[in-house]
Amino acid sequence: MSGVCTKLLFMEQIQGMKAVGHLDADCFYVSAERVRDSFLLGKPVGVLGNQGACVIAKSYEMKAAGVSTGMPIWDALVKCPEGVYIKRDFRWYEVLSRLMLEVAREVSPRVEYYSIDEFFFTVAEPRGGSFQVLAESIRDRIWERVRVPVTVGIARTRTLAKLISDAAKPFGALAVVDRGAEERLLSGRPVTEITGIAGRRAARLEPWGITTCLDLARADRRLVRSLLTASGEALWWELNGDPVRAIEPRRPAHKALSRGGSFGESTSDPAVLHAWLVRNLERLIEELEYHGVAAGRLTVAIPYKSGQTGVGQVHLAVPSDRFDLLLDAARSALRKAWIPRATATHMHVIAEQLTHRVDCPGDLFEPPARAAQAQAVARLKRAVNARHGRFALRSAATQALGPIYRDAANAYDICDVRGKSCF
Amino acid sequence: MCLGIALAASEIPNDLIDRHALRRRIHERGGEPEFRFLYRDRHPRLPVWRDGRLQIVRWGNGQKKSRFLPDTGWTWQATIDQGYWKNLNPAPVDIPASLGLERGVWYRIRQGVRGLLVPDERGVAVVYMICEPSSHYYQIMTRSNRMPTLIEERI
Ligand SMILES: [Mg+2]
Repeated sequence: MSGVCTKLLFMEQIQGMKAVGHLDADCFYVSAERVRDSFLLGKPVGVLGNQGACVIAKSYEMKAAGVSTGMPIWDALVKCPEGVYIKRDFRWYEVLSRLMLEVAREVSPRVEYYSIDEFFFTVAEPRGGSFQVLAESIRDRIWERVRVPVTVGIARTRTLAKLISDAAKPFGALAVVDRGAEERLLSGRPVTEITGIAGRRAARLEPWGITTCLDLARADRRLVRSLLTASGEALWWELNGDPVRAIEPRRPAHKALSRGGSFGESTSDPAVLHAWLVRNLERLIEELEYHGVAAGRLTVAIPYKSGQTGVGQVHLAVPSDRFDLLLDAARSALRKAWIPRATATHMHVIAEQLTHRVDCPGDLFEPPARAAQAQAVARLKRAVNARHGRFALRSAATQALGPIYRDAANAYDICDVRGKSCF
Repeated sequence: MCLGIALAASEIPNDLIDRHALRRRIHERGGEPEFRFLYRDRHPRLPVWRDGRLQIVRWGNGQKKSRFLPDTGWTWQATIDQGYWKNLNPAPVDIPASLGLERGVWYRIRQGVRGLLVPDERGVAVVYMICEPSSHYYQIMTRSNRMPTLIEERI
């Protein structure tokens, strides 16, 4: 055993040390717009989502004026009257995202497509070079090739790498691989900067005097586990330089699939809510079909302006990806989630208990002709939409959302960019 | 209703700037100069491309300099289609613009806005901005129910 260990150690020495890289585009949607429109360079720019209602990305110039992500445009105008507003275009952002991914794959054999503008990857210390030089060369190569400014962090673990790239933004490149430098970095940063530690978990740590990342790294491991469970302990290991969270080059199978989001214009109209339900369900079914799975449980969640969230959940008799069956389930879930006269802002339709379609039993109590007819309709819908464009053939129940369908930008959303491990 | 446009300064040649005293319309955004043409200006003007030349012309008739032109700065595309302007010898023109302004929102315009150029009773060229019912996005972004007709662009 010890012989094997010595051999491994030796191998590591000749191959150079291994580390984890984290790449994060700087204000990605704005940078992506600037790639094709130099007029926007240097100006305060906001990309609008939710059909024009909210700022979903802002340039550093706009951020400096006090505009934050998610801010309604009317508030943003007050903070930044000179801002330039543009409509989002996820098709274009995905094109650049995949070009960046290609560059990352050139420098690393193992790349995780974490989100549209963030990747994790493994790196080996270059012969005769350093991790610092490597981080800079990755950043520069992306800039030369794609013209999107990114920041690259390299560290012993992914949690450290992300903290480092966050600290080095914008257009930064920083490798921190020795303990002394790590501790300096951790000492000045609040624990909430760690992905996975938000308000509630931070509040649990506070009575123990754990407020900075370094406090957490130096805390007793068993205490951290008792306060933050196993996932918190994983972060503890990672902060101390032990990589326990793997880089996933292929997205693990989905436990749940969901579609939905903001309405743009809030509504209390049951007909409009029903139209959104059908739209979200049709998009969800596309996703079920793509992954070849059927849903065993359907949940409809509706956040309201009042701060309440209505939730309805329905179990299906047998797992299904069929529009007629899922619509029945979704309607009764909607009834449970509906608060009469309350103004709803968002809706999420979530499919869980996913089973591979080939493993799904049929419903023994359903006349075979009905199943055959539903399958024929689904096939026709797929064929027409493949030929004439997404949503060309859709349920008439979506009629109340005419303006949403008329705008091509609404036909492709961030969730339609596939293969990301986060969102 | 688009209440103004901005055009990158590099788009306007120097002789035009001098001839129309455009310097007072220069503003800076992100360190780059741009010309702003606002309807509320004491001399509302718009740049237009006509016969392959960029010109600066009077924007609408809000100040009632003409006795027979409509005292507004805009016209519906539908009004043009119905032949309302037919007898005024109108010419379709392009209004180059980098940005549009509506209720405080500056939004990006890739090429420009469509306009209609007509002579007044003294033969002076007057341009009207062509508009259409707002798209859903434009309506939410600006809360306005009409939008300029953009050149080869839909937002
Ligand atoms: Mg980013």
